[in-house]
Amino acid sequence: MYSGIHTISLDGSNLGHADFVDATNFVGDPCLVLTTDPKPRLRWTSELHDRFVDAVTQLGGPDKATPKTIMRTMGVKGLTLYHLKSHLQKYRLGKQSCKELTENSKDASCIAESQDTGSSTTSSTRMMPQDSNDGFQVTEALRVQMEVQRRLHEQLEVQRRLQLRIEAQGKYLQSILEKACKALNDQAVATAGLDAAREELSELAIKVANDCPPSVIPIPSLPEVAAYLENGFAPSIDSCLTSHNSPVNSPAGLSPQASALKKRQRAVFSNPSGQANRMDDVWIS
Amino acid sequence: MKLPFASHQDNLSSPHNHIKQQITGKSSEFESVDRKSISLSEDPLPLDNYEIVNQFEEWDSLIGELGFHDDPAKSTYLSSIQSDVIPPIMPLFLNSDSDEFMTRYNIDNENRFDFVDELSQIAECFETQSLQLAHVILARLNQRLISPNGKPLQRAAFYFKEAIQDLLTGSTRSSSSSSEIVQLITAYKIFSTVSPIPMFSNLTANQTILEAVEVATIVHVIDFDIGIGGHWASFMKEISEKSEFRKVNSPAFRITAVVPEEYETQSRLIRDNLFQFALDLNIRFEIDFVSVRTFENLSFKSIRFLNGEKIAVVLTPTIFRRFDAGFVNDLRRISPDVIVQVDGEGLITSLFRETVMNGVEFYSTIMESLEASNRDGGGEWMRKIEMFVLFPKIIAMVEAAGRRVTPWREAFGGAGMRPVKQSRFADFQAECLLRRIQVRGFHVAKQQEEMVLCWHSRPLVATSAWRY
Repeated sequence: MYSGIHTISLDGSNLGHADFVDATNFVGDPCLVLTTDPKPRLRWTSELHDRFVDAVTQLGGPDKATPKTIMRTMGVKGLTLYHLKSHLQKYRLGKQSCKELTENSKDASCIAESQDTGSSTTSSTRMMPQDSNDGFQVTEALRVQMEVQRRLHEQLEVQRRLQLRIEAQGKYLQSILEKACKALNDQAVATAGLDAAREELSELAIKVANDCPPSVIPIPSLPEVAAYLENGFAPSIDSCLTSHNSPVNSPAGLSPQASALKKRQRAVFSNPSGQANRMDDVWIS
Repeated sequence: MKLPFASHQDNLSSPHNHIKQQITGKSSEFESVDRKSISLSEDPLPLDNYEIVNQFEEWDSLIGELGFHDDPAKSTYLSSIQSDVIPPIMPLFLNSDSDEFMTRYNIDNENRFDFVDELSQIAECFETQSLQLAHVILARLNQRLISPNGKPLQRAAFYFKEAIQDLLTGSTRSSSSSSEIVQLITAYKIFSTVSPIPMFSNLTANQTILEAVEVATIVHVIDFDIGIGGHWASFMKEISEKSEFRKVNSPAFRITAVVPEEYETQSRLIRDNLFQFALDLNIRFEIDFVSVRTFENLSFKSIRFLNGEKIAVVLTPTIFRRFDAGFVNDLRRISPDVIVQVDGEGLITSLFRETVMNGVEFYSTIMESLEASNRDGGGEWMRKIEMFVLFPKIIAMVEAAGRRVTPWREAFGGAGMRPVKQSRFADFQAECLLRRIQVRGFHVAKQQEEMVLCWHSRPLVATSAWRY
C-alpha cells in the first residue's frame, strides 16, 4: 500500500528518510510534488495539506466538502478529483478515529496515544517538516486500521465467550430439570399411585355398598392394589375397576374418576424425560 | 327487541337472555361454546359477524337499550363482538384509563378492554381502603377475566386480577410441590431459549461482577434473587476459563442466596447442581441459603463473611422494597466491590393503582415480546412461562406495591453510591445476544450507565452496577 513511499514500514516506526527531500519544492509555491516512482504519485506536502485543510474548513468540514468543491477552492493546478477523493477519505477517517478514540475505553486511547507519541517523536527527529503531515496521515490510517482489527477481534472474543456461557447455563438447566423430574418420579410412584388407587377404591366401595349386595362384586384390597402398582400392573387395576363398573351403577359417575386414575397412572409410569407433552399429563391432573 | 342472529342460536332469543346465561353459567359452558364458534375463538359469544354487519339501525337502538356504563354484562357482550364495523357508539364506556391504554396500544374501538378500568378501580379501593367495594368489583372482574386467554393485555390483566384476589382474600400460593418445580424449571428453560430477557439480565450482571472481582482469591456473591441458579453456572465457567488462561488457580467461589420462605426443595436442587458443576470445573465452592425473614431481622449478620474475599451483591427493586432504610447503610458496612441492580419488574411505586397499571402494561409488553418468538403457533409453553415465571413476579409486585419506601435510585444516591460504567464487552455481548435470538423488535439502549433491553422502545429489563 505504501510501496511508492519507500521507507515507511507498516509499524510506522521509521518514518522518513532523506531520499524524499530531493524532489520537493516546498516554499510558498503551491505546485505539486510527485514521487520518483515509475508511476508518479502525488506527494501531499504540508503546504498542500494545509491548503487542503483550509479549503475543507471553508466548505464546512470534511463531511460537507466534496472533492469537486475542494478542487475549486484550492485552485491548485494539476490536482485531480482522484487525488482529492482519496485524500479526503483519509482525512475523514483520521477525524473519525479521533472522535471514536476519545469515546472509547481508556486502554484504546492509551495505545493510540503511545503510537502517536512514538511516531511524532520519530518524525520530528528523523523527518523533514514537510513529511510530518504525510507521516501523520499514515499513522492515522494505521491507527484506524488497527482499531478496526481490534474491534473485530474483541467482537469475536465476545461471541466465543457468550457461546460458552449460554452453553454452560443450558447444561445446568438440563441437569437440574432431570434431577427435579427424577425427584418427582420417585415421589409419584411412592405416593400418588397408592393415593389414587385408595381414593378410587373407597369411592367404589361406597357406591357398591349403596347399590348392590356386597357379595356380588369382589373388590381388590388395598395391599393388593399396592402390589399391583409396584409391579407395574396398572392396566389390570384399570380393567379391574372398569369391569366392576358396569353392574354397579351409572358409568358417568365412575368413568371420570376411572379415567382420571388412568391419566395419573399414565403420568406415573411414563418415562418423564422432561418433554413438554408428557409434562402436560401431570399439569392437567 | 331482537337481533337477527344466525339460526343455530335459536335459543338465544334476545341479547338480555344470553347475557344472563353468561353471568350465571359455569366455566365449562363457556368452553363448549368456545369450541363451536369459528372466528371468535376467544370469546364466549358465538355471534355470526355477517349478521351484525347488516344491522346498523337496529344496532343503534340496541345500544340505547343496553344503556349504562355500570352494566358489566352489556360491556362483556359488546366487547366480545369482533367485527370490523362496530359503529362508533362504543365510546359510551370511555374514561381516562381506557383512553391511555387505547392510545398506547393503538387499540381500535372494537376491542373494548373494560377490565382495565375495573382493575384500576379495584386498585384504587386498596388506596382508599374500601375493601367491600373491592370485593364487589372483584366479583365482576372474575366474570370478565375468566382465564388467561386473549391478547397480551387481557392475559396480563387476568394475572393481576388473580394476584389482587390473593391479596384481598389473604391466600398465598406455594409452588413447592415436586410437580410444580418441574413445571417451573421447564418454563424457565424455555423462557431462556425463546426470549433474550433472562440471558440479558444474567449475563450483563455476571459480566459486571466478573470485571469487579478480577484477581480475587475468594469471590463471595450475595444473591437476593437466585431463581434456579442457572446464571452461576455460566459465571463459574467463566472464572474457570479466565484462571486457565492466566495459568493461576481459580478463586474459591461462595454464594449466599437470600431466598423466600419454603424454598427447601429448590434450595436442595440448586445446591446439588451447582456443587456438581463446580466439581467438574475444579472450583472450590460453597453455598448458603438464608431466608428473607431471617435477613430482615438480622441483616448482614445473618451472612458469614471471610477475610480477603471480594464481595458482589445482586439485588432487585422488589426485594429492595422489603428492607428498611437501614439497608443501604448496612450494605456499605460490608464494603462490597460491586452492587448489581437487575430491574425487570415494571415501576413499583407507593401508589397502588399506579403500580398495578404500570404492571399490567409492563407484563403485557413482555407477553407481546414472547409472542413474537412464537413461530410454530404452539401456545402451551407460553402459558407455562406466564404461569410459572411471570405470575410469581406479578404476585410479588402486587405485594410490594403501595408501601411507602424510598425508591432504590434515591436511596442509592443518598447513600453515596456511584454508578459503575458498563464495559465494551457488555455492550458487544448484548448486541451478540440479540443477533442470536433472531426476533426483530428487541434492542438495547444505554441510559446513564444503565443497559436496558427494550421491546420496541418499551423497557423490559435494566441492569446497572454501583459502588460506594
